Parts: sequence; C-alpha cells; structure tokens
Amino acid sequence: MINDKNSQKIVDIIQNFARKHSLFVLAYGTGCGAIEIPPTMTSRYDAERFGIRGAATPRQADVLLITGYLTTKTVKRVIRVYEQMQDPKYVIGFGSCTINGGMYWDSYNTIKVLDRYLPVDIYINGCMPRPEAVIEGFIKLQKKIMEGRAEGAKHYKENLEWYRANQKKVLGPTTPHIQEYNW
Amino acid sequence: MEEKKAQILEKLQKVFPEISETKNDFPYNRVDLRIEKNKIPAILFYLKDEMGYKHLVHITCVDWLEEGKFEVIFIVWSPVDKIKVFVKTFLDRNNPVMDNVDMIWRQANTYERELREMFGIQFEGLVAPKEFILEDWDDMPPMRRDFDTEAYARKRFFARPGREDARDVRQTIAERTGEEIPDFAKKYSR
Ligand code: SF4
Repeated sequence: MINDKNSQKIVDIIQNFARKHSLFVLAYGTGCGAIEIPPTMTSRYDAERFGIRGAATPRQADVLLITGYLTTKTVKRVIRVYEQMQDPKYVIGFGSCTINGGMYWDSYNTIKVLDRYLPVDIYINGCMPRPEAVIEGFIKLQKKIMEGRAEGAKHYKENLEWYRANQKKVLGPTTPHIQEYNW
Repeated sequence: MEEKKAQILEKLQKVFPEISETKNDFPYNRVDLRIEKNKIPAILFYLKDEMGYKHLVHITCVDWLEEGKFEVIFIVWSPVDKIKVFVKTFLDRNNPVMDNVDMIWRQANTYERELREMFGIQFEGLVAPKEFILEDWDDMPPMRRDFDTEAYARKRFFARPGREDARDVRQTIAERTGEEIPDFAKKYSR
C-alpha cells in the first residue's frame, strides 16, 4: 500500500483512467427506454469505441443503467441488484421518468425521484433519450470518473440509513426483498 | 354476415330466452348480448361446446360509477364463424361477486386474477395466489374510477420539488420576448 500522498494521486489517475475506459453496463432493462440500448450498443452508434460494453451479471458490471420508470415492485429488485454489484459501480438515471416521474408522475405504482433510493451519478433527460444523448451521458460519466467525482457508491455507503429509510417508507416496512447488506 | 348474426342470436335465444341483444358499432363481425350473472357459466359452456366459440379472447370490466355497477364482459370468438360474441353482465358495485369460469377455459384464471386485483371483483371458488401484479397493496383496487391516483401518488411517493409551479412554456417565452400569446394557443394554456 502506498502511503505517500503524491504517489497515491498518481495511482488514482491511472486507476481512474483504466476504469473510465472499461464501463461494463448491466443488461437490466426497465421501462420503455431499454429499447434505445440495442442501437447504442450495436454497429450504428457503436458505444464500444468508448469502452462501453454489456455485462451479463451484476457482479461483473460497473454501470447500472436505469432505463425508465420503476414500479415499486421493480425498484426492490433494482436495489438488490445494485447491492450485489462490486466496486467501482455507477448508476445512470435514464429518461425523465427517473428524474421526476415523467409522464407517469401521477401513477399509483411507479416511483418518481430515483436519487432518493439509489445514488445516481448521471441523469440523462429525454423521453426517451436518443442514442446520441446516451453516449453523451456516458462521456459525462467518464469525465466525472476521471476527475474522481463519481462517488455515488461511497455516498450510498456513508448515507445508508437515509437511503434505507426512504426505501422502507415507500416500499413498506415488511418488504422481504431487501436484506441488510454488509460491505 | 347479417344472417349469421341473426342465426346465432336465434339459437341462443332458444336456450336462454332471457338474453337481450345490445347495440354495437361493428355490423359485420360482432354480436353483443346481455344476461344475468348467474347464467354466465351456462351460456359460456353452451357457446363453447355447442356453437364452436372455442377461443376466449378477453375478460374485461367497465366501471359504471354513476349507476353503481360493474359490467363484466366476456369476449369469445369462433374460428368457423369468424364472429366475436360479447357476453356482458352487470354486477352490483358494492358487492361484486360472480361465478368463476376457469373450468371452461384455463386461461380465464389469469384474467380473473387481474379483475380481482384491479377492480376488486370476487370470483367464487377462484383458486389463485392472492397477489397478481401489485405487491403489498393496501388501498382501494386501483382501476376503480373513484380511486384518485394523483392523490395516492402524492401521498405515497417522493416528488421532486418544482413540479407544482411548473409553468407553461409559452408563458415563459412570451415574457422573455415580450410577444403576445396568440388566441388560438391560449385555450391550451394552463
Ligand atoms: S422517460 Fe419516457 S421513454 Fe423513458 S421510461 Fe419514461 S415514459 Fe418511457
């Protein structure tokens, strides 16, 4: 372990550079926005040239892309998925439904403000965002990672009680799907 | 097609004299009829076994809030006649109970579960898990018309502040540029 502050800085830069160029995105489609992911990933827009790729399981993924509205039932699963992911991990809120409810703002069964439940690093607005916007969002995320500001996971760890309280308030105190998670 | 429809009605009326035909806007391939709720399994059995209406298209419900009724509609289709038959029945809105029909079509079970959850209609003898789509639901069934989804959403979920005083885009632009909003656009303004 390097104790010297300056050497740590250099290590961080190298680490961030490496992380930034290999973003594995978990293939977990919620809401209608997931339909924009295939064109983003395939030959037309080819997100792989930025180092953005799909990952099959949460434990291999770096980015959790929330592609749209989340019903109360889905958000429980999404929280579990997020907690299974290993560091480094980032959350992208995709579409206006994750920002303020979008066109489902008065729905009885969808949550509205995603950052109350999960630490969102980047929001991409639009209903639904086009692949250009998605790539733009990813590039913003890469920039944030490079600057060392993409610290959603750390924020979640530090404010776990606040997030848990929010989750429990909306998802019910008896929700069996959320287990206490220990890093 | 007209004769075919008339034949269907005639045949049904011989066995079930109490059915009444209701009007619809599809002259060629659709017959609507209404019957009391306790005759529903009988007429569906008859349609399926005797008249070849083998295919259950849908079971749905209309909430007649003002009249205090639910109207449950069974849609069946015959691959031979190519005609849809809508079998409708009224239930009391305060006590919506009717017979289960999933012994006729197994897939009716799913539709009945949905109606039970979304409208609160009880099907006697329905064997199915308690929950269908909603989890931990503790309010009125959400598809009833007197369920206020906006109030419920406001009460239950976090909202991002700033939504309430969201303004009409036209208003903002008009103030910024000093232009008038044209009359035709005003009626869409909030
Ligand atoms: S933002 Fe629009 S496209 Fe995205 S999930 Fe919501 S309604 Fe669908």
